[in-house]
Amino acid sequence: MSDKKTILIVDDEPDTLTFFSSLLRDNGYETITAENGDAALAKVREARPDLITLDITMPESSGVRCYRELRQSAEFRSIPVIVITGISEDFRGFISSRKQVPPPDGYLSKPVDEQELVGMIGRLLAA
Amino acid sequence: MDLPYRQYFESMPCYVTVQDRDLRIITANARFRQSFGDFEGRRCYQVYKQRPEKCEVCPVERTFRDGLSHSSEERVRCLNGREVAVIVYTEPVLDPDGRIAAVMEMSTDITEIKQLQDLLSESRRRYRTLFEEVPCYISIQDADLNIVDANRLHRRDFGSFLGCKCYEVYKHRKEECYPCPVRDTFLDGAIHEREEVVTSIRGETMNVLVSTAPIRDGAGNLQYVMEMSTNITQIRALQSQLASIGLLIGSVSHGIKGLLNSLNGGIYLVNKGLENGDQARLKQGWEIVLRNVARIRSMVLDILYYAKDREPQYEPLSPAAVIDEVFDLMLDKARSLGVGLAREVDEDVGSLEGDAKALRAMLVNLVENSLDACRLDSKKSGHRVALRASGQGTHVRFEVADNGIGMDRETREKAFTLFFSTKGSEGTGLGLFVANRIACAHGGRIVLESERDAGTRFLVEIPRERPRKPAKEDQCLTQQGATP
Repeated sequence: MSDKKTILIVDDEPDTLTFFSSLLRDNGYETITAENGDAALAKVREARPDLITLDITMPESSGVRCYRELRQSAEFRSIPVIVITGISEDFRGFISSRKQVPPPDGYLSKPVDEQELVGMIGRLLAA
Repeated sequence: MDLPYRQYFESMPCYVTVQDRDLRIITANARFRQSFGDFEGRRCYQVYKQRPEKCEVCPVERTFRDGLSHSSEERVRCLNGREVAVIVYTEPVLDPDGRIAAVMEMSTDITEIKQLQDLLSESRRRYRTLFEEVPCYISIQDADLNIVDANRLHRRDFGSFLGCKCYEVYKHRKEECYPCPVRDTFLDGAIHEREEVVTSIRGETMNVLVSTAPIRDGAGNLQYVMEMSTNITQIRALQSQLASIGLLIGSVSHGIKGLLNSLNGGIYLVNKGLENGDQARLKQGWEIVLRNVARIRSMVLDILYYAKDREPQYEPLSPAAVIDEVFDLMLDKARSLGVGLAREVDEDVGSLEGDAKALRAMLVNLVENSLDACRLDSKKSGHRVALRASGQGTHVRFEVADNGIGMDRETREKAFTLFFSTKGSEGTGLGLFVANRIACAHGGRIVLESERDAGTRFLVEIPRERPRKPAKEDQCLTQQGATP
């Protein structure tokens, strides 16, 4: 069995999926992708990734709901999640909507700096 | 004459003469003699006016004729050449038989009063000119908001409707506005300011800055209120543009960040491909770059729709296809609101030259407006929105009709004004403004027919051929009317 860590990338934008997949594979990770929240939850159950990057402003099945479900699940709540989104207003709304939910492990704003993303994933997986 | 009366006569502080039927001066008082000198045997007009013939209208003659007292205003000349304005009163002098023996004429010097009167009427005239020619709309209103006076510009743009209510003339409303700055000034006597949207007799809507001031009578009672309105449409249009850019920057910033992120991804793949001599990666990355540059480009064009006049990208197109696309786009939203959406395209609709994307955006805006009009209408059920296209000779007519809440006259007149919305926090006031701008850019127009509680119909007429000269927005007048 491969000792490579698996990262689930969730984003409705195909080019972003290609970008993050290439970047993370180049840095020694396995990657799987999902284009919306429901697909992401299915992939989590199927492959149990080591870390998730999550876009919260997707048209169908919002990332916020996906995040809440992950954190409410005893099985998956320990998987680190990095929230990646376009505007800070969304993030503030997101933060205020999660009263009973702990904050995400990391937060990055688009456009994402690749070194920052790789560095943050490295630190979270080493912890 | 007896002594005390002679003394009174002599010392009268005005010119007093007694004249016979030939207007000869029989006697005169001291003041008269002092100013006009010798009168023996001479006639009134010779002494007073140095004229050879009697005056055309003579109060003395009139008194001889009818025995009554008369008065007139005259100009006379003293011995020293000074012109004096006088007010003349005449009184008959009767003999013991009661016949008129003579007429007493009394002339009071009113030169100073006359000068003051002239000054007063000159300054009145000057103030009237100022009032008339001031480059803003001025009306004077009474406590019932009736316009009792208005200046030239006001009469030119709003008509001569003295005695009519302010809100009828300015806004074609049947009820008083709330709040009303004129009413406020009547209540507290202070100056009030407000911005309003009004409609001229030619149907132009304009933004005006209204200032009111109290007008008091001599006793200090508030009698009228002056309302002065300055046309600030151009300033507002400029500000609206700036504000709409602000709104748009907010709404597109998320999109732009996402596109930049994808662009970063493309650049990353291109760099890695070059580094490792990996052609497949290079190609994949370059495609991402191209795709996202194109998307940024089209987003910028969309922003330009709002920010400034954009030339339509003309291409031959089928009105039927545009209707189909808009129908497909709006069907889900109509279903979710429980509104029936129908489409109908005439066989003879033909084709036209136009900007497909812009016309689609225009119709989507109109359909969205109609769907909102149905959603907001709680008085009826069975709401429908119909989308039609038909050929009208040199034009294609698109029609969006609904049986929703409808508009009153005021709403109709303001419907295409930027940031005018009746939907509270749900409306941005952009949709119909942009729709109208797109119709105008095509050399076409939007006719709006609507009636409160009955429904609304937008008729968009677009010429089949592109206009030689693009229409300027202010030359493109929309028409509004009640549903026939």
